[in-house]
Amino acid sequence: MNGPRRSRTARGGLRAGLLLLSALMALLLALPALSGALGLANPALAGEASSAASEVVGNASAATATPAPGAPKTTLADYPRIRGVNSRVLVWLVAQLHLWFAAFVLAVPIFVFIIEAIGMKTRDKRYDEMAYEFIKVSITAYSLTAILGGLLLFSLLVFYPQLTAYLTRVFKESMFYYALLFFIESAALYLYYYGWHWLQGPFAKWVHLTIGLVLNAAGTTLMFLANAWVTFMMSPAGVDSAGAYLGDPWAAIHNYLWNPINLHRFIANIAYGGSIVGAYAAFRFLTATRAEDKAHYDWMGYTANFIAIAALLPLPFAGYYLAAEIYAYSQQMGITLMGGIFAWLFIIQAVLIGTLFLSANYYLWCGMGRSEGAARYNRFIKYIVIVLVGAFLVWFTPHTLVLTNEELKALGGPYHTYLGPLGIMPAKNTAVNIMILFTALSFLIYRRANRVPTVSWAARGNAIQVALYGAGILNIFFLGIYHGYFTNTVYKVASSIPQVMTTLIVIAASLVIDAFIYRRAREIAPLRWGRIPDRAQYALFLLAIAFTWLMGLMGYIRSGIRQHWHVVGIMRDNSADAITPTLGFAANVVSAGTILFMALVIFVFWLSELGARKVQPAGYWQE
Amino acid sequence: MMGRLLSRIPALLRAALVVVGIYLAATAIFSGLLGQPIPASLMTMYMFFVIVGVFMAFTFTEEGARAMAAPIRALVENPALRPVRNIVFLLVPLAAGAFTYTKMLPSLEAPVELRTIHPAPPSTFKAYGKRYDLLTLENPFRKYEKEDPERFRALVAEGGKIYIRNCQFCHGDKLNGRGPFAPALNPVPLNFQDVGTIAQLQESYLFWRIATGGPGLPEEAAPWISSMPVWQNFLKEDEIWKVILFLYDYTGHRPRAWEK
Amino acid sequence: MRQFFSVVAFTLLTIGFFAGFSNFGIPQIEPAPPPKEEKIALGAMTMEDFIALGERIFKGKGTCTLCHNPVGGRAPLLDQIGKVAAKRLADPRYKGEARDVEGYLHESLVKPSAYVVKGFGKKGTGDTVSPMPDVSGGSIGLSEAEIAAVIAYLQSASGVEVTVEIPAGAEPAAKAEKETAGEGRPLYASAEEAMRELGCGACHKVAGEQGEVGPDLTHIGAKRDRAYLRRAILDPNADIAEGFEPDQMPPDYGEQLYAKELEMIVDYLAGLK
Repeated sequence: MNGPRRSRTARGGLRAGLLLLSALMALLLALPALSGALGLANPALAGEASSAASEVVGNASAATATPAPGAPKTTLADYPRIRGVNSRVLVWLVAQLHLWFAAFVLAVPIFVFIIEAIGMKTRDKRYDEMAYEFIKVSITAYSLTAILGGLLLFSLLVFYPQLTAYLTRVFKESMFYYALLFFIESAALYLYYYGWHWLQGPFAKWVHLTIGLVLNAAGTTLMFLANAWVTFMMSPAGVDSAGAYLGDPWAAIHNYLWNPINLHRFIANIAYGGSIVGAYAAFRFLTATRAEDKAHYDWMGYTANFIAIAALLPLPFAGYYLAAEIYAYSQQMGITLMGGIFAWLFIIQAVLIGTLFLSANYYLWCGMGRSEGAARYNRFIKYIVIVLVGAFLVWFTPHTLVLTNEELKALGGPYHTYLGPLGIMPAKNTAVNIMILFTALSFLIYRRANRVPTVSWAARGNAIQVALYGAGILNIFFLGIYHGYFTNTVYKVASSIPQVMTTLIVIAASLVIDAFIYRRAREIAPLRWGRIPDRAQYALFLLAIAFTWLMGLMGYIRSGIRQHWHVVGIMRDNSADAITPTLGFAANVVSAGTILFMALVIFVFWLSELGARKVQPAGYWQE
Repeated sequence: MMGRLLSRIPALLRAALVVVGIYLAATAIFSGLLGQPIPASLMTMYMFFVIVGVFMAFTFTEEGARAMAAPIRALVENPALRPVRNIVFLLVPLAAGAFTYTKMLPSLEAPVELRTIHPAPPSTFKAYGKRYDLLTLENPFRKYEKEDPERFRALVAEGGKIYIRNCQFCHGDKLNGRGPFAPALNPVPLNFQDVGTIAQLQESYLFWRIATGGPGLPEEAAPWISSMPVWQNFLKEDEIWKVILFLYDYTGHRPRAWEK
Repeated sequence: MRQFFSVVAFTLLTIGFFAGFSNFGIPQIEPAPPPKEEKIALGAMTMEDFIALGERIFKGKGTCTLCHNPVGGRAPLLDQIGKVAAKRLADPRYKGEARDVEGYLHESLVKPSAYVVKGFGKKGTGDTVSPMPDVSGGSIGLSEAEIAAVIAYLQSASGVEVTVEIPAGAEPAAKAEKETAGEGRPLYASAEEAMRELGCGACHKVAGEQGEVGPDLTHIGAKRDRAYLRRAILDPNADIAEGFEPDQMPPDYGEQLYAKELEMIVDYLAGLK
């Protein structure tokens, strides 16, 4: 809206160039998959499946010429090395960078779609403009996602040829359609973005929204397909015990952990996308000089933070569901995940998620300064802080403690009598539910900051809300303590579900009641967008950084619990890097990745601004 | 009265007092009252986030932030405070140096030893000359709990006898890890009453740990200083399963299960 | 620009905090290296099967337990051999060419005199010549695969790492072993064949073999009658020749032999005059 107009031809050229670029990207992505699929699928079509298989296996171990249709058995020689390149760290970094960008570019269209729909419903143009700005931020990241995807495929082909060949063999159909789907995704995205101002009007807006739907459908399907390949490596299905593909693509895709990962990634992507856009808005806010720009980016940052929090609230439950399913799939994998060396990773995770919750809350509290009316609620904040920090401390209390010998003697064992019980799941579930409830409470208070209800039953409504919260908290504690410590483990797991339901019901009901109480509420002081301290913007940065880092860390464990397997129980990792790295090493790789990602994101954001800049070089062009 | 007194103290000092107060209270409660001190490693992290929380509570409003920053700002900017500034600027690096020095100083304290108490089990293991698949292994007697409660009671009772003859010396007659031999052992015998031990595990895991003992621990659980004997050398397969029944029955825990 | 740099500094600080906490705030546990892969490529035999095969050979076809047992003291016990072998390699009396435990074990099976444990040598040789036969030849006749299986078993049983690889073709040998152990074995064609298969020559001097654990049988027919010979095979402890100890000979030949074969052997021995 405030960007200078670009000439029609310049824009057309840019569009053509980008379309060409996107087609190239899609081709680049499709090529390796295609060549893999073709090389293996053609003989299979001719009814020579076994020869194709032996061709692959023959490469693996020339000594055995027997046609083995199973997964290749690799030796050290099957992992090509390039001097000076650590192949595992390279593939790790590239995969993680690809995932970060993919999560971002998949998530943004989801909430852009929602914001656009809200704009259509309310006919408030600001929503439409903000949605456009969101998608503008993500569009440059799209090509980077494709580049990184291509780089990932090439690195896999170069460094892990046997694994890539095997996965291609199992997933030939889905990989082929994955590549094709990119055309739809790209076409929809570019139509959606470039057609934004063209498709305006009663009918055209519906067309535009439909394109957004197609874009999201294609993007989500893409992610689900890629998830299938990843979860296949964790919980293989559709193959026999030797790894021979049984011919049913759906069985291989619909493996045990597919849906848990799909759900978890879908929600996490939205939260992540929100946090990255929030960081963008925060940076623009800090650098903005005009008051109206500050107001605009303040509002954008607030919305992004709202999206991030809204998706963050159900995320622990999705994560818990995923972990429970991993346990159910294989006790060994489950204990590797929760009890072995990775147990400490969850302490790091707790610190990070605590950081997320605290910074998101802090941003909300700082945002209350936008209105004078909020001062009424300031005195409650310190209690919310106490509860949040208290719950957080419970959450990251480890079950096994790091003890000096003296402390060991003082405690009389490796477990702490009073803090030990806080180390197991029921306590942590209770703590996280409380944290979520109070984060929602922060939001409720924020909503009320500048308004006074006018409905007659406001006091009663408020009492009902308080009662709801009280009952909910009591119920969560009861479930956590009774089922967690006084019944058996089946209920321990089961109790987490009523806890979650309690939390969700209390939040939803309070929001509904609140919406009714504050209908036609009187504004006692204006909400001044832009009046927010710089500290709050740093809270948004913290949110984005912690989120990025956390995703990297959890990517490490998701992959790491496979231990020395490419495909658990079917294809062994015989490379020199089959060892599981220490948490410190993993953290360093994740940190390096985060820095790289942040640098690329800054570049992408800078690019998205570049189109608006114009220089008139004096005396350069012929007059 | 109290509140007014508090509000007269500068915000920064108030924040510091809150932090110190929480620290002292936690130490007093856990070390003094409960006799179970909070380990230093955990206390450090607790206090870090307490400080973060206090900072947030004091700075979320503009006035609060200004009040917090005021003494620091004054220290740096106020010409009248120059002597204090010089002292502080001298003390801070000195304190950092002293902290680093004490941290790096070699001590007689044995290095912290970390054992993974619940190492990830192998997918299969060998005992009694057979190979067991931990994923599918089940207690052969568990089914009698429903099918034949009388027989189940008898099996549990047998398990109890075996436990008293073999296990209670370390794990205690109350299954709390405080048997007569326990004070001499490090790592201490596991306390089965704790909600964090057998209640978190499947019966097959217990069978693995009992049958192969300390020497059967995977490398991840090194150092292998567990004094748990290799019970497959002393007990029959059935006897181990009966003991497992007894462990769960006596403690009232249920083996971890995901089905149903 | 100042804002940009403070944001960058903030970002790096935050990441540094996370990395620092992960490196120094929590214990660094070195995860165990992946377990050694069991070779399953050759046949369907796992290392465990292979070791079990070695054990069967050790106690059966290889006739090793005839001497390497805790009762007779004819030959050293092998329950610690994996650990002892390393010391033997460094012993100045060692004459062989092996460099590692596996090599030593292999050598001791096919060239037993390369190292003779003190007190276990052939009488009168001052522990330079072993009384043990070469297991790859003669009546025992283990194949390379079978020898490898025995080495694997010895390594496994003495608690050292099994370094032997399962050789190609181990499977048929295992099958052959199972067949001879099972019922319905075809009759031995001659007494010589029966005695070769049963490994009589490992202990006795007979049919071209030079065993020294039991009495010399080269002229046994001249001294003993058929009833004595038959009883000596069926119930070895009934009569003990002078200078020999009881409990050395397996007492179960009566179960292993068909009556016809037993008579064949008795006839053969009675004919040695």
